[in-house]
Amino acid sequence: MRASVAAIRGGIPSVAIVGSHFQAQAKTIERSLGVQDSGMAVYPGHIRLDDENEFRRKVATDIVEQIISELGNVKISPARQGGEHKPREIVFRGSIDEVNAHFYDRQWTEGLPVIPPTLDRIDAFMKHTARRPDEVIGVLLPERREATVWNVAVNGVMSGCLPEYMPVLLALVEAIADPEFRIEDHGSTPGWEPLIVISGPVTKTLDFNFGTGVMRAGRRANTAIGRFLRLYTRNIAGLRIPPGETDRAGIGNPFNVVIAEAEDFVRSIGWPTYGMERGLKEGESGVTVQSMMGASAPMAGHGSEGNDLLGYLDPMADVFGKAILGYWVHTAVAFAHWDPLIIMNPQIAKLAADKGWSKNDIRNYLYERAQIPARDVEFRGRFVNLELASQLEKGIVPAAYGASKDPDRLVPCFYTPESIGIVIAGNPATTWQRGYMNNHEQGAAVTKNIAWDRG
Amino acid sequence: MNAITNTAPDEPQYAVVWPLGRLQVDGGTDFPKSLPDLNGATIGEMWDWLYKGDSLFPIVREELRKRYPDIKFVEYPVIGNIHGPDENEIVAGLPQLLQALGCDAVVVGVGH
Repeated sequence: MRASVAAIRGGIPSVAIVGSHFQAQAKTIERSLGVQDSGMAVYPGHIRLDDENEFRRKVATDIVEQIISELGNVKISPARQGGEHKPREIVFRGSIDEVNAHFYDRQWTEGLPVIPPTLDRIDAFMKHTARRPDEVIGVLLPERREATVWNVAVNGVMSGCLPEYMPVLLALVEAIADPEFRIEDHGSTPGWEPLIVISGPVTKTLDFNFGTGVMRAGRRANTAIGRFLRLYTRNIAGLRIPPGETDRAGIGNPFNVVIAEAEDFVRSIGWPTYGMERGLKEGESGVTVQSMMGASAPMAGHGSEGNDLLGYLDPMADVFGKAILGYWVHTAVAFAHWDPLIIMNPQIAKLAADKGWSKNDIRNYLYERAQIPARDVEFRGRFVNLELASQLEKGIVPAAYGASKDPDRLVPCFYTPESIGIVIAGNPATTWQRGYMNNHEQGAAVTKNIAWDRG
Repeated sequence: MNAITNTAPDEPQYAVVWPLGRLQVDGGTDFPKSLPDLNGATIGEMWDWLYKGDSLFPIVREELRKRYPDIKFVEYPVIGNIHGPDENEIVAGLPQLLQALGCDAVVVGVGH
Protein backbone atom coordinates (compact mmCIF):
# COMPACT_ATOMS: atom_id res chain seq x y z
CA MET A 1 0.00 0.00 0.00
CA ARG A 2 2.91 2.34 0.68
CA ALA A 3 3.98 2.19 -2.96
CA SER A 4 0.44 2.75 -4.16
CA VAL A 5 -0.08 5.80 -1.94
CA ALA A 6 3.38 7.12 -2.90
CA ALA A 7 2.32 7.04 -6.56
CA ILE A 8 -0.88 8.89 -5.70
CA ARG A 9 1.08 11.51 -3.75
CA GLY A 10 3.07 11.98 -6.94
CA GLY A 11 -0.16 12.73 -8.84
CA ILE A 12 -0.50 9.32 -10.49
CA PRO A 13 -3.71 7.33 -9.95
CA SER A 14 -3.09 3.85 -8.61
CA VAL A 15 -4.93 0.60 -8.03
CA ALA A 16 -3.53 -1.78 -5.40
CA ILE A 17 -4.35 -5.45 -5.90
CA VAL A 18 -5.03 -7.07 -2.53
CA GLY A 19 -6.50 -10.38 -1.41
CA SER A 20 -9.91 -10.25 0.24
CA HIS A 21 -8.35 -11.45 3.52
CA PHE A 22 -5.88 -8.57 3.37
CA GLN A 23 -8.43 -5.88 2.51
CA ALA A 24 -9.16 -4.69 6.05
CA GLN A 25 -5.46 -4.40 6.83
CA ALA A 26 -4.88 -2.56 3.56
CA LYS A 27 -7.58 -0.04 4.47
CA THR A 28 -5.96 0.51 7.87
CA ILE A 29 -2.59 1.06 6.25
CA GLU A 30 -4.00 3.53 3.72
CA ARG A 31 -5.66 5.43 6.58
CA SER A 32 -2.32 5.50 8.38
CA LEU A 33 -0.87 7.05 5.25
CA GLY A 34 -3.45 9.80 5.47
CA VAL A 35 -5.94 8.77 2.78
CA GLN A 36 -8.99 6.61 2.19
CA ASP A 37 -10.50 5.07 -0.94
CA SER A 38 -7.11 5.16 -2.62
CA GLY A 39 -8.12 2.52 -5.17
CA MET A 40 -8.11 -1.23 -4.67
CA ALA A 41 -8.84 -4.29 -6.78
CA VAL A 42 -9.76 -7.12 -4.43
CA TYR A 43 -8.80 -10.69 -5.37
CA PRO A 44 -11.46 -13.02 -3.96
CA GLY A 45 -9.76 -15.52 -1.63
CA HIS A 46 -6.05 -16.27 -1.41
CA ILE A 47 -4.00 -15.88 -4.57
CA ARG A 48 -1.65 -18.74 -3.70
CA LEU A 49 -4.38 -21.29 -3.05
CA ASP A 50 -6.21 -21.13 -6.41
CA ASP A 51 -5.24 -23.39 -9.31
CA GLU A 52 -4.11 -21.81 -12.56
CA ASN A 53 -7.57 -21.85 -14.19
CA GLU A 54 -9.26 -20.23 -11.22
CA PHE A 55 -6.43 -17.72 -10.88
CA ARG A 56 -6.72 -16.74 -14.57
CA ARG A 57 -10.50 -16.44 -14.36
CA LYS A 58 -10.41 -14.20 -11.29
CA VAL A 59 -7.68 -11.95 -12.70
CA ALA A 60 -9.28 -11.67 -16.15
CA THR A 61 -12.68 -10.80 -14.72
CA ASP A 62 -12.69 -9.57 -11.09
CA ILE A 63 -9.32 -7.83 -11.08
CA VAL A 64 -9.44 -6.29 -14.55
CA GLU A 65 -12.98 -4.98 -14.07
CA GLN A 66 -11.98 -3.35 -10.78
CA ILE A 67 -8.84 -1.80 -12.28
CA ILE A 68 -10.93 -0.18 -15.02
CA SER A 69 -13.57 0.93 -12.55
CA GLU A 70 -11.14 2.36 -9.99
CA LEU A 71 -9.00 4.23 -12.53
CA GLY A 72 -12.13 5.54 -14.24
CA ASN A 73 -13.54 6.92 -11.01
CA VAL A 74 -10.81 8.02 -8.61
CA LYS A 75 -12.46 8.61 -5.22
CA ILE A 76 -9.47 9.16 -2.96
CA SER A 77 -9.84 11.66 -0.11
CA PRO A 78 -8.05 12.59 3.12
CA ALA A 79 -8.60 10.03 5.90
CA ARG A 80 -11.26 10.90 8.43
CA GLN A 81 -10.19 11.05 12.07
CA GLY A 82 -12.17 10.84 15.27
CA GLY A 83 -12.29 9.58 18.84
CA GLU A 84 -9.15 11.40 19.94
CA HIS A 85 -8.64 12.45 23.56
CA LYS A 86 -6.29 14.79 25.37
CA PRO A 87 -3.62 13.22 27.61
CA ARG A 88 -5.08 14.24 31.00
CA GLU A 89 -8.71 13.98 29.94
CA ILE A 90 -10.70 11.46 31.97
CA VAL A 91 -12.33 9.12 29.47
CA PHE A 92 -14.06 6.76 31.90
CA ARG A 93 -14.90 6.30 35.59
CA GLY A 94 -15.69 2.97 37.14
CA SER A 95 -14.70 0.03 39.29
CA ILE A 96 -11.73 -2.16 38.46
CA ASP A 97 -13.99 -4.55 36.55
CA GLU A 98 -15.75 -1.74 34.73
CA VAL A 99 -12.48 -0.10 33.71
CA ASN A 100 -11.20 -3.40 32.39
CA ALA A 101 -14.41 -4.07 30.51
CA HIS A 102 -14.36 -0.56 29.01
CA PHE A 103 -10.75 -0.95 27.86
CA TYR A 104 -11.25 -4.49 26.56
CA ASP A 105 -14.29 -3.48 24.53
CA ARG A 106 -12.22 -0.77 22.83
CA GLN A 107 -9.32 -3.15 22.18
CA TRP A 108 -7.05 -1.18 24.52
CA THR A 109 -5.88 -4.33 26.33
CA GLU A 110 -4.49 -7.64 25.12
CA GLY A 111 -7.01 -9.63 27.15
CA LEU A 112 -5.24 -9.62 30.50
CA PRO A 113 -6.51 -7.36 33.28
CA VAL A 114 -4.85 -3.95 33.45
CA ILE A 115 -4.07 -1.60 36.33
CA PRO A 116 -6.38 1.44 35.85
CA PRO A 117 -4.31 4.32 34.39
CA THR A 118 -5.28 7.04 36.84
CA LEU A 119 -3.59 10.43 36.87
CA ASP A 120 -1.87 9.87 40.21
CA ARG A 121 -0.36 6.56 39.05
CA ILE A 122 0.83 8.11 35.78
CA ASP A 123 2.29 11.11 37.59
CA ALA A 124 4.28 8.70 39.77
CA PHE A 125 5.90 7.32 36.60
CA MET A 126 6.58 10.84 35.29
CA LYS A 127 8.65 11.55 38.42
CA HIS A 128 11.24 9.10 37.06
CA THR A 129 12.03 11.09 33.94
CA ALA A 130 12.98 14.68 33.25
CA ARG A 131 11.37 14.52 29.82
CA ARG A 132 8.23 16.49 29.04
CA PRO A 133 5.05 14.39 28.94
CA ASP A 134 4.11 15.73 25.50
CA GLU A 135 7.48 14.90 23.95
CA VAL A 136 6.91 12.83 20.81
CA ILE A 137 9.42 9.97 20.79
CA GLY A 138 8.32 8.80 17.37
CA VAL A 139 5.32 7.96 15.23
CA LEU A 140 4.56 4.25 15.17
CA LEU A 141 3.32 2.63 12.00
CA PRO A 142 1.09 1.11 10.78
CA GLU A 143 -1.55 3.06 12.75
CA ARG A 144 0.73 6.13 12.79
CA ARG A 145 0.05 7.20 16.36
CA GLU A 146 2.38 9.41 18.32
CA ALA A 147 4.51 7.62 20.90
CA THR A 148 4.85 10.14 23.72
CA VAL A 149 6.47 10.12 27.13
CA TRP A 150 2.95 10.40 28.55
CA ASN A 151 1.45 7.38 26.83
CA VAL A 152 4.56 5.33 27.71
CA ALA A 153 3.69 6.01 31.35
CA VAL A 154 0.00 5.22 30.78
CA ASN A 155 0.76 1.84 29.23
CA GLY A 156 3.43 1.19 31.84
CA VAL A 157 0.82 1.62 34.57
CA MET A 158 -1.61 -0.66 32.73
CA SER A 159 1.03 -3.40 32.31
CA GLY A 160 1.78 -3.62 36.02
CA CYS A 161 5.18 -1.91 35.82
CA LEU A 162 6.65 -0.03 38.78
CA PRO A 163 7.21 3.73 38.38
CA GLU A 164 10.98 3.25 38.58
CA TYR A 165 10.86 1.18 35.38
CA MET A 166 10.01 4.35 33.43
CA PRO A 167 13.55 5.02 32.03
CA VAL A 168 13.63 1.43 30.74
CA LEU A 169 10.22 1.82 29.10
CA LEU A 170 11.31 5.02 27.38
CA ALA A 171 14.44 3.36 26.00
CA LEU A 172 12.32 0.48 24.69
CA VAL A 173 10.00 2.83 22.85
CA GLU A 174 12.98 4.69 21.40
CA ALA A 175 14.21 1.34 20.09
CA ILE A 176 10.98 0.32 18.38
CA ALA A 177 10.47 3.84 17.01
CA ASP A 178 13.87 3.67 15.32
CA PRO A 179 13.26 3.17 11.56
CA GLU A 180 15.88 0.41 11.63
CA PHE A 181 13.48 -1.71 13.71
CA ARG A 182 10.66 -1.54 11.13
CA ILE A 183 7.75 -1.62 13.57
CA GLU A 184 5.46 -1.24 10.55
CA ASP A 185 6.18 -4.89 9.72
CA HIS A 186 5.25 -6.21 13.16
CA GLY A 187 1.90 -7.36 11.77
CA SER A 188 3.45 -9.40 8.94
CA THR A 189 2.09 -12.88 8.39
CA PRO A 190 4.94 -15.01 9.85
CA GLY A 191 3.98 -13.48 13.20
CA TRP A 192 6.97 -12.23 15.17
CA GLU A 193 7.13 -10.81 18.68
CA PRO A 194 9.53 -8.24 20.15
CA LEU A 195 12.30 -9.76 22.24
CA ILE A 196 14.11 -7.58 24.77
CA VAL A 197 17.60 -8.03 26.18
CA ILE A 198 18.43 -5.73 29.09
CA SER A 199 22.05 -4.90 29.89
CA GLY A 200 24.11 -3.07 32.46
CA PRO A 201 23.78 -2.25 36.16
CA VAL A 202 19.99 -1.90 35.78
CA THR A 203 19.85 -5.68 35.66
CA LYS A 204 20.59 -5.74 39.38
CA THR A 205 19.10 -2.44 40.50
CA LEU A 206 15.67 -3.32 39.13
CA ASP A 207 15.97 -6.99 40.14
CA PHE A 208 15.79 -8.76 36.78
CA ASN A 209 16.09 -12.52 36.71
CA PHE A 210 19.04 -13.79 34.66
CA GLY A 211 19.27 -17.26 36.19
CA THR A 212 16.94 -20.20 36.52
CA GLY A 213 13.92 -19.94 34.20
CA VAL A 214 15.22 -16.71 32.70
CA MET A 215 12.50 -16.74 30.02
CA ARG A 216 9.69 -17.66 32.41
CA ALA A 217 7.14 -15.28 33.87
CA GLY A 218 7.59 -14.79 37.61
CA ARG A 219 10.00 -11.92 38.25
CA ARG A 220 8.17 -8.60 38.07
CA ALA A 221 10.73 -6.59 36.08
CA ASN A 222 11.18 -9.26 33.40
CA THR A 223 7.47 -9.99 33.11
CA ALA A 224 5.81 -6.59 33.43
CA ILE A 225 8.28 -4.86 31.10
CA GLY A 226 7.90 -7.64 28.53
CA ARG A 227 4.15 -7.26 28.73
CA PHE A 228 4.44 -3.48 28.46
CA LEU A 229 6.19 -3.58 25.11
CA ARG A 230 3.61 -5.85 23.50
CA LEU A 231 0.73 -3.82 24.93
CA TYR A 232 2.40 -0.66 23.66
CA THR A 233 2.78 -1.99 20.11
CA ARG A 234 -0.89 -2.95 20.24
CA ASN A 235 -2.09 0.42 21.47
CA ILE A 236 0.22 2.83 19.69
CA ALA A 237 1.34 0.98 16.55
CA GLY A 238 -2.20 -0.42 16.40
CA LEU A 239 -1.26 -4.06 15.94
CA ARG A 240 -4.41 -5.90 16.98
CA ILE A 241 -5.62 -9.38 16.12
CA PRO A 242 -9.31 -9.70 15.09
CA PRO A 243 -11.61 -7.97 15.64
CA GLY A 244 -8.71 -5.58 15.01
CA GLU A 245 -7.56 -5.24 11.43
CA THR A 246 -3.83 -4.71 11.30
CA ASP A 247 -2.16 -7.76 12.80
CA ARG A 248 -2.01 -10.46 10.10
CA ALA A 249 0.12 -12.98 12.03
CA GLY A 250 -0.51 -16.53 10.88
CA ILE A 251 -0.01 -17.91 14.38
CA GLY A 252 2.26 -15.69 16.49
CA ASN A 253 3.48 -16.15 20.05
CA PRO A 254 2.64 -14.75 23.50
CA PHE A 255 4.69 -11.75 24.57
CA ASN A 256 8.25 -12.45 25.65
CA VAL A 257 9.54 -11.72 29.12
CA VAL A 258 12.74 -9.67 29.19
CA ILE A 259 16.06 -11.52 28.95
CA ALA A 260 18.75 -10.33 31.33
CA GLU A 261 22.36 -11.46 31.27
CA ALA A 262 24.45 -12.84 34.13
CA GLU A 263 26.92 -10.01 33.63
CA ASP A 264 29.09 -10.51 36.72
CA PHE A 265 29.59 -14.10 35.65
CA VAL A 266 30.45 -13.02 32.08
CA ARG A 267 33.09 -10.66 33.42
CA SER A 268 34.46 -13.37 35.73
CA ILE A 269 35.31 -15.53 32.73
CA GLY A 270 36.88 -12.62 30.87
CA TRP A 271 34.29 -12.26 28.13
CA PRO A 272 32.61 -9.03 27.02
CA THR A 273 28.97 -8.71 28.03
CA TYR A 274 26.23 -8.68 25.43
CA GLY A 275 25.63 -5.02 26.22
CA MET A 276 29.28 -4.14 25.59
CA GLU A 277 29.14 -5.95 22.28
CA ARG A 278 26.10 -3.83 21.41
CA GLY A 279 28.06 -0.65 22.09
CA LEU A 280 27.29 0.13 25.74
CA LYS A 281 30.17 1.45 27.84
CA GLU A 282 31.12 0.06 31.23
CA GLY A 283 28.57 1.29 33.78
CA GLU A 284 25.94 2.13 31.17
CA SER A 285 22.60 0.38 30.99
CA GLY A 286 20.62 -0.24 27.84
CA VAL A 287 17.99 -2.25 26.06
CA THR A 288 18.17 -4.18 22.82
CA VAL A 289 14.96 -5.07 21.02
CA GLN A 290 14.70 -7.44 18.10
CA SER A 291 12.06 -9.65 16.57
CA MET A 292 11.57 -13.25 17.65
CA MET A 293 9.96 -15.60 15.15
CA GLY A 294 10.57 -18.78 17.04
CA ALA A 295 12.83 -20.61 19.45
CA SER A 296 14.78 -23.82 19.20
CA ALA A 297 14.24 -26.79 21.45
CA PRO A 298 16.32 -26.58 24.62
CA MET A 299 19.77 -27.91 23.76
CA ALA A 300 22.31 -29.61 25.99
CA GLY A 301 24.97 -32.11 24.91
CA HIS A 302 24.54 -34.58 22.05
CA GLY A 303 25.10 -37.45 24.44
CA SER A 304 28.38 -35.89 25.50
CA GLU A 305 29.56 -35.60 29.04
CA GLY A 306 31.99 -33.59 31.09
CA ASN A 307 34.20 -31.11 29.36
CA ASP A 308 33.51 -31.95 25.72
CA LEU A 309 32.78 -28.39 24.56
CA LEU A 310 31.88 -29.36 21.00
CA GLY A 311 29.30 -31.74 22.38
CA TYR A 312 27.43 -28.65 23.58
CA LEU A 313 28.11 -26.43 20.56
CA ASP A 314 27.23 -28.95 17.86
CA PRO A 315 23.53 -29.12 18.85
CA MET A 316 23.42 -25.33 18.53
CA ALA A 317 24.81 -25.58 15.03
CA ASP A 318 22.65 -28.55 14.07
CA VAL A 319 19.34 -27.98 15.87
CA PHE A 320 19.23 -24.21 15.88
CA GLY A 321 21.53 -23.42 12.95
CA LYS A 322 20.77 -25.99 10.29
CA ALA A 323 17.21 -26.98 11.19
CA ILE A 324 15.69 -23.66 12.24
CA LEU A 325 17.82 -20.92 10.72
CA GLY A 326 18.44 -23.06 7.65
CA TYR A 327 14.73 -23.09 6.98
CA TRP A 328 14.52 -19.27 6.97
CA VAL A 329 17.98 -18.07 5.89
CA HIS A 330 16.71 -17.39 2.36
CA THR A 331 14.90 -14.37 3.81
CA ALA A 332 18.12 -13.14 5.42
CA VAL A 333 19.79 -13.37 2.02
CA ALA A 334 16.85 -11.69 0.27
CA PHE A 335 16.69 -8.82 2.76
CA ALA A 336 20.41 -8.76 3.58
CA HIS A 337 19.91 -8.87 7.34
CA TRP A 338 19.78 -11.45 10.14
CA ASP A 339 19.99 -11.31 13.94
CA PRO A 340 20.03 -14.84 15.37
CA LEU A 341 20.34 -14.83 19.17
CA ILE A 342 21.64 -17.53 21.47
CA ILE A 343 21.13 -17.89 25.19
CA MET A 344 24.27 -19.72 26.26
CA ASN A 345 24.34 -21.50 29.56
CA PRO A 346 26.87 -20.09 32.06
CA GLN A 347 28.49 -23.49 32.58
CA ILE A 348 29.09 -23.94 28.87
CA ALA A 349 30.41 -20.39 28.58
CA LYS A 350 32.87 -21.15 31.40
CA LEU A 351 33.85 -24.43 29.80
CA ALA A 352 34.61 -22.58 26.57
CA ALA A 353 36.48 -19.76 28.31
CA ASP A 354 38.55 -22.26 30.32
CA LYS A 355 39.59 -23.84 27.03
CA GLY A 356 40.69 -20.44 25.74
CA TRP A 357 37.70 -19.82 23.48
CA SER A 358 36.41 -16.29 23.01
CA LYS A 359 32.85 -15.35 22.08
CA ASN A 360 34.05 -14.82 18.54
CA ASP A 361 35.55 -18.31 18.48
CA ILE A 362 32.09 -19.62 19.37
CA ARG A 363 30.54 -17.55 16.59
CA ASN A 364 33.06 -18.74 14.02
CA TYR A 365 32.60 -22.37 15.01
CA LEU A 366 28.81 -22.21 14.72
CA TYR A 367 29.04 -20.33 11.44
CA GLU A 368 31.40 -22.85 9.89
CA ARG A 369 29.52 -25.92 11.09
CA ALA A 370 25.96 -24.82 10.34
CA GLN A 371 25.86 -24.97 6.56
CA ILE A 372 23.30 -26.36 4.15
CA PRO A 373 23.22 -26.87 0.37
CA ALA A 374 22.63 -23.70 -1.63
CA ARG A 375 19.88 -25.44 -3.57
CA ASP A 376 17.77 -25.60 -0.36
CA VAL A 377 18.15 -21.86 0.16
CA GLU A 378 17.26 -21.11 -3.46
CA PHE A 379 14.33 -23.54 -3.41
CA ARG A 380 12.74 -21.95 -0.35
CA GLY A 381 13.78 -18.54 -1.63
CA ARG A 382 11.22 -18.90 -4.41
CA PHE A 383 8.67 -17.73 -1.84
CA VAL A 384 10.30 -14.29 -1.83
CA ASN A 385 11.56 -14.51 -5.43
CA LEU A 386 15.10 -14.63 -4.13
CA GLU A 387 17.58 -13.84 -6.87
CA LEU A 388 20.77 -15.01 -5.20
CA ALA A 389 23.00 -14.30 -8.21
CA SER A 390 21.69 -10.74 -8.37
CA GLN A 391 22.16 -10.22 -4.60
CA LEU A 392 25.76 -11.42 -4.94
CA GLU A 393 26.36 -9.25 -7.98
CA LYS A 394 25.16 -6.19 -6.09
CA GLY A 395 27.50 -7.13 -3.24
CA ILE A 396 24.75 -6.87 -0.63
CA VAL A 397 25.07 -10.42 0.69
CA PRO A 398 28.27 -12.11 1.90
CA ALA A 399 30.44 -13.72 -0.78
CA ALA A 400 30.18 -17.02 1.13
CA TYR A 401 26.80 -17.56 -0.54
CA GLY A 402 28.38 -17.57 -3.99
CA ALA A 403 31.65 -19.43 -3.55
CA SER A 404 30.81 -21.41 -6.71
CA LYS A 405 27.88 -22.05 -9.03
CA ASP A 406 27.47 -25.63 -7.76
CA PRO A 407 23.91 -25.91 -6.40
CA ASP A 408 25.18 -28.43 -3.86
CA ARG A 409 27.80 -26.08 -2.44
CA LEU A 410 27.35 -25.46 1.28
CA VAL A 411 26.26 -22.01 2.42
CA PRO A 412 25.97 -20.59 5.96
CA CYS A 413 22.80 -20.69 8.05
CA PHE A 414 24.02 -17.97 10.43
CA TYR A 415 24.46 -15.37 7.62
CA THR A 416 27.67 -13.94 9.13
CA PRO A 417 29.58 -14.80 12.33
CA GLU A 418 29.21 -11.18 13.50
CA SER A 419 25.42 -11.37 13.29
CA ILE A 420 25.18 -13.95 16.10
CA GLY A 421 24.10 -12.43 19.41
CA ILE A 422 25.25 -14.34 22.50
CA VAL A 423 23.67 -13.77 25.93
CA ILE A 424 24.92 -15.74 28.92
CA ALA A 425 21.95 -16.62 31.13
CA GLY A 426 19.88 -19.45 32.52
CA ASN A 427 20.14 -22.05 35.24
CA PRO A 428 23.84 -22.56 36.00
CA ALA A 429 23.13 -25.94 37.57
CA THR A 430 22.13 -27.26 34.14
CA THR A 431 23.57 -27.06 30.64
CA TRP A 432 20.42 -26.06 28.75
CA GLN A 433 20.76 -23.50 25.99
CA ARG A 434 18.43 -22.07 23.38
CA GLY A 435 18.43 -20.16 20.10
CA TYR A 436 16.01 -17.48 18.91
CA MET A 437 15.38 -16.58 15.29
CA ASN A 438 14.46 -13.09 14.17
CA ASN A 439 12.69 -12.12 10.94
CA HIS A 440 15.53 -10.73 8.77
CA GLU A 441 15.26 -6.91 8.56
CA GLN A 442 11.83 -6.92 10.21
CA GLY A 443 12.60 -6.36 13.85
CA ALA A 444 16.32 -5.82 13.35
CA ALA A 445 18.22 -5.62 16.65
CA VAL A 446 18.28 -2.02 17.91
CA THR A 447 20.05 -0.94 21.11
CA LYS A 448 19.29 2.22 23.11
CA ASN A 449 20.88 3.57 26.25
CA ILE A 450 18.72 3.98 29.32
CA ALA A 451 18.82 7.59 30.49
CA TRP A 452 18.69 7.99 34.27
CA ASP A 453 17.97 11.69 34.06
CA ARG A 454 16.28 11.77 37.46
CA GLY A 455 19.05 9.91 39.26
CA MET B 1 -17.61 -8.08 22.99
CA ASN B 2 -20.01 -8.25 25.97
CA ALA B 3 -17.35 -8.18 28.66
CA ILE B 4 -18.68 -9.32 32.04
CA THR B 5 -18.31 -7.06 35.06
CA ASN B 6 -18.73 -7.96 38.67
CA THR B 7 -18.91 -4.74 40.64
CA ALA B 8 -19.98 -4.45 44.26
CA PRO B 9 -21.66 -1.15 45.25
CA ASP B 10 -18.86 -0.05 47.59
CA GLU B 11 -15.93 -0.81 45.26
CA PRO B 12 -13.40 1.96 44.64
CA GLN B 13 -13.95 3.98 41.50
CA TYR B 14 -11.13 4.87 39.12
CA ALA B 15 -10.98 7.86 36.79
CA VAL B 16 -8.84 6.78 33.88
CA VAL B 17 -7.23 8.32 30.81
CA TRP B 18 -6.87 7.31 27.18
CA PRO B 19 -4.01 4.88 26.52
CA LEU B 20 -3.46 5.70 22.85
CA GLY B 21 -1.62 8.54 21.11
CA ARG B 22 -2.71 11.18 18.65
CA LEU B 23 -3.04 10.02 15.05
CA GLN B 24 -0.50 11.79 12.92
CA VAL B 25 -1.67 11.86 9.34
CA ASP B 26 -0.94 14.08 6.38
CA GLY B 27 -4.20 14.00 4.48
CA GLY B 28 -3.24 16.28 1.61
CA THR B 29 -5.72 17.51 -0.96
CA ASP B 30 -3.89 17.44 -4.28
CA PHE B 31 -5.09 14.09 -5.57
CA PRO B 32 -4.93 12.71 -9.12
CA LYS B 33 -7.85 12.79 -11.55
CA SER B 34 -9.77 9.83 -12.98
CA LEU B 35 -8.81 8.14 -16.24
CA PRO B 36 -12.17 7.32 -17.84
CA ASP B 37 -10.55 6.07 -21.07
CA LEU B 38 -7.40 3.97 -20.88
CA ASN B 39 -6.79 4.15 -24.65
CA GLY B 40 -3.45 5.85 -25.15
CA ALA B 41 -2.67 5.73 -21.43
CA THR B 42 0.57 4.27 -20.07
CA ILE B 43 0.09 1.91 -17.11
CA GLY B 44 3.01 1.14 -14.82
CA GLU B 45 3.23 -2.30 -13.21
CA MET B 46 4.67 -2.76 -9.74
CA TRP B 47 4.68 -5.65 -7.29
CA ASP B 48 6.46 -6.90 -4.21
CA TRP B 49 7.94 -10.08 -5.71
CA LEU B 50 5.84 -12.13 -3.31
CA TYR B 51 2.40 -12.82 -4.73
CA LYS B 52 2.42 -14.03 -8.34
CA GLY B 53 2.78 -10.67 -10.05
CA ASP B 54 4.78 -12.40 -12.78
CA SER B 55 1.69 -14.52 -13.58
CA LEU B 56 -0.87 -11.80 -12.92
CA PHE B 57 0.40 -8.89 -14.99
CA PRO B 58 0.50 -10.73 -18.35
CA ILE B 59 -3.20 -11.59 -17.90
CA VAL B 60 -4.04 -8.01 -16.93
CA ARG B 61 -2.15 -6.72 -19.99
CA GLU B 62 -3.89 -9.16 -22.32
CA GLU B 63 -7.36 -8.32 -21.05
CA LEU B 64 -6.87 -4.57 -21.00
CA ARG B 65 -5.47 -4.60 -24.55
CA LYS B 66 -8.63 -6.37 -25.73
CA ARG B 67 -10.67 -3.42 -24.49
CA TYR B 68 -8.19 -0.59 -25.05
CA PRO B 69 -6.05 -1.41 -28.10
CA ASP B 70 -3.86 1.69 -27.72
CA ILE B 71 -3.03 1.16 -24.05
CA LYS B 72 0.70 0.94 -23.21
CA PHE B 73 2.49 -0.66 -20.30
CA VAL B 74 5.71 -0.13 -18.39
CA GLU B 75 6.18 -3.77 -17.52
CA TYR B 76 7.16 -4.75 -14.00
CA PRO B 77 10.81 -5.68 -14.69
CA VAL B 78 11.48 -2.04 -15.60
CA ILE B 79 10.52 -0.81 -12.12
CA GLY B 80 11.74 -3.93 -10.32
CA ASN B 81 10.99 -5.23 -6.84
CA ILE B 82 9.34 -2.61 -4.61
CA HIS B 83 9.92 -4.72 -1.48
CA GLY B 84 13.17 -5.69 0.19
CA PRO B 85 16.21 -4.10 1.80
CA ASP B 86 15.93 -0.84 -0.18
CA GLU B 87 12.15 -0.50 0.15
CA ASN B 88 12.08 2.88 1.87
CA GLU B 89 14.36 4.47 -0.72
CA ILE B 90 12.47 2.83 -3.60
CA VAL B 91 9.09 4.03 -2.36
CA ALA B 92 10.41 7.54 -1.72
CA GLY B 93 11.69 7.75 -5.29
CA LEU B 94 8.58 6.32 -6.97
CA PRO B 95 6.81 9.56 -7.95
CA GLN B 96 9.88 10.79 -9.84
CA LEU B 97 10.52 7.39 -11.41
CA LEU B 98 6.93 6.95 -12.58
CA GLN B 99 6.85 10.43 -14.04
CA ALA B 100 10.15 9.82 -15.83
CA LEU B 101 8.69 6.62 -17.28
CA GLY B 102 5.64 8.51 -18.51
CA CYS B 103 3.14 6.53 -16.42
CA ASP B 104 -0.43 7.88 -16.40
CA ALA B 105 -1.49 5.31 -13.78
CA VAL B 106 -0.08 2.33 -11.92
CA VAL B 107 -1.32 -1.09 -10.86
CA VAL B 108 0.39 -2.41 -7.73
CA GLY B 109 0.34 -5.99 -6.47
CA VAL B 110 0.93 -5.78 -2.74
CA GLY B 111 -0.49 -8.43 -0.47
CA HIS B 112 -2.72 -11.40 0.00
